[in-house]
Amino acid sequence: MILCWFISNSCEALIGAGCVRYLIDRPVRFDRLGNVGIFIFFAAFLGPFLSSFVDAAFVAINHFGGDSYWQVWRIRFTSNILAALTLVPLIVTWVGDGIAWLWKIRQARFLEAAFLLGALLSVNTIVFYKLGPSADSALLCLPVPFLIWAAVRFGSRGASGAICTLTFLAIWSAGHGYGPFSTRSAEENALSIQMFLIVMSVPLLLLAAVIEERGKGAMTLREREDRISLAAESANLAFWSINFERKESWMSDKGRAIFNFGPDEALSRELFLSRVHPEDRNAVDEAIEQARASSQTFEFEYRLLRPDGETRWLISRGRYVRDDRGGIRELIGVAIDITEQVEADLQLRLQREEMARMSRVSSMGELTASLAHELNQPLTAIASNAAAGRRLLAQGPPDAKIFEELLADVATDARRAGDIIHGIHHFVRKSEGRRCPVNLNEIVQEVLRLLHSDLLGRATPVETQLAPNLPSVDANPVHLQQVLLNLVMNSLEAMQSTPIGKRRIVISTTCEDSSSVLVTVRDYGSGLPKEDLDKVFNHFYSTKPNGMGMGLTIVRSIVEAHGGKLNAENSDEGARFFFRLPVKPKSETPEVI
Amino acid sequence: MSPAAELVCVVDDDESVRRGLRRLLKSAGYTAETFSSAEEYLAREIFQGALCLLLDVRMPGLKGPALQEALEERGTCEQIVFITGHGDVPTATRAMKKGAVDFLTKPFDGEELIQAVKRALKRSEERLRNRGERLKARSRVEKLTPREFEVLRFVVMGLLNKQIAAELHTAEKTVKVHRGRVMQKLGVTSVADLVRISQWAGVSPARKRA
Repeated sequence: MILCWFISNSCEALIGAGCVRYLIDRPVRFDRLGNVGIFIFFAAFLGPFLSSFVDAAFVAINHFGGDSYWQVWRIRFTSNILAALTLVPLIVTWVGDGIAWLWKIRQARFLEAAFLLGALLSVNTIVFYKLGPSADSALLCLPVPFLIWAAVRFGSRGASGAICTLTFLAIWSAGHGYGPFSTRSAEENALSIQMFLIVMSVPLLLLAAVIEERGKGAMTLREREDRISLAAESANLAFWSINFERKESWMSDKGRAIFNFGPDEALSRELFLSRVHPEDRNAVDEAIEQARASSQTFEFEYRLLRPDGETRWLISRGRYVRDDRGGIRELIGVAIDITEQVEADLQLRLQREEMARMSRVSSMGELTASLAHELNQPLTAIASNAAAGRRLLAQGPPDAKIFEELLADVATDARRAGDIIHGIHHFVRKSEGRRCPVNLNEIVQEVLRLLHSDLLGRATPVETQLAPNLPSVDANPVHLQQVLLNLVMNSLEAMQSTPIGKRRIVISTTCEDSSSVLVTVRDYGSGLPKEDLDKVFNHFYSTKPNGMGMGLTIVRSIVEAHGGKLNAENSDEGARFFFRLPVKPKSETPEVI
Repeated sequence: MSPAAELVCVVDDDESVRRGLRRLLKSAGYTAETFSSAEEYLAREIFQGALCLLLDVRMPGLKGPALQEALEERGTCEQIVFITGHGDVPTATRAMKKGAVDFLTKPFDGEELIQAVKRALKRSEERLRNRGERLKARSRVEKLTPREFEVLRFVVMGLLNKQIAAELHTAEKTVKVHRGRVMQKLGVTSVADLVRISQWAGVSPARKRA
């Protein structure tokens, strides 16, 4: 018979555990309504329901006791339900995760739990032990508040614990013939006490699950908010929303700090615009208005002028949210403080600009001898004319016409010397970073003027093939001069070992499909090392023994800052460097390079 | 000397410099011509008088020093004053070794240039005169008969009439007659003059038989 009970009870446990395991993701806990529902239906109801047939059949087969099949079935069924409802949750909740949690309980909670246990024990003792069978049956509800207290304050652990206390005392009292469940026959008493306890425990377990679930939900929400605000702080992000229906607005703490809004200041478009830098205000207002009309997402970059006088760079992105009827319900958005980035960019640009200037100064340094020669020509002419004038004066009354010519020549030569010096100064001084329409043909001519003497000294004729009616490009003229100067000087270096008669540079400008201008500098020198064709633009790459390797890098960065591209290739003899500049460059940051 | 016998030529690729120098040279009373390249100068017909060449070192095409070499081969009498934009010492040294009169660095003092031009013209004229003397001597020597020429070569060697006669296997008297004719034809009265004119004409002394 014991074997039979073992089989039927194992059967019940297998059904319950199997279904629960199948339906609930591990680990099994009593902190979710769904889980508790599944447990109650499958483990506490279906398992006992099915196994009780087997159980009753075994009893009948073995002729154990004198009860009928259905009587046995009913007793087994209710008692097994009760056992499942009281003992399983207690075990799972209290020791399912080990018992380490017991040592972590705070003192206040421990005292509360102890008090609750005391109250439960005394109330249950009064109800089930002290009160006689004739007492008002409504008094049976007396433990209910304490059970709910346990469920609400201590979740599934409290609920299961309380249920066990209740069950133990109720059964113990009834077993000893006390309390409300002691009046009828033992079987009837057992049935009613079982029904009472089942009815009490099922809602209580569900209640505990609901409360724990909500607690968990609130915790998750708080965690999520914490994460978002952490992200917002570390990325200098401001989250905000304005609800037009409820006339409510909200902005993250970091956002209020960025915009310098008070903690409770209500947000509005006007308030926002008042913080925007006056120069950017109209553009921002227009962007918002456009987004409002088109219900598209807006995004713009602008400056913030805060009341404390600080200017910050921001990118805002946002959108109008519409309700079902198409009316505007809410405006939500995010703003990113990019001030540090912008400042770093500016710093980088200044550094590059300075580097470009240093490179120009060093180019000029290389050209000093040639430039001195260039300057000496007009000075020689002036000195000769002056000497001639003195001689003419010494010879008697001068011829006015001859003197007029002489002085005109002196003036022309003085202007020419001035132009040369001006050109050098212009080339070497700090760039203002202004762009203007530039004709590349003129740039070519200017650079050839600067290099005139050097080209003579190196016996290198320059051939120009300049396209007529070349469209002008929007560029910084000094920087383009630098590009050409560096490329031509590069070509000169490359032709040092080329026999004098074969040295030649060809500079050409071409208008390509009216949208870009192509400038090519071709030499007849040693050409580029094949394996290093990509490396020539790298920092510190140089084939010259005393080269810094910065020239071509700077040249390329200038070309790219103008929205163009610089390339190099080998031709039949020598190398060819060419760059394209767009006639109308895409919107670029105002500072060049 | 007539002005037409003197000329200053300026070769420089810079127009302002050419104009200034021409004006300066004219004011100093020289006849000046300007050329923008060495090639242009070479194309000019050879000037027969005294000539000073003001030559730029750095020019497109043929450079100053290269022109100097070309002129040396031509064997003309112009004297060169180099003018250069930068004082390149090796170039200057080489130019001076090859006989340039001066090497002036731009910008130079006008008077300094005039002095250099003056020196150059003087040297050019001297050279021209020397060449004239040589030509005269040679033409006179050419008038001698082979026998007379032979006698001249022995005289220049410093032999006595008797010794010459022995060398030529002839009578001393015959040598005396030849010698008198040589003196007459070359227009000299002393042996010293005879030796000098022979040198100009490039007459090599005879070799004494062993």
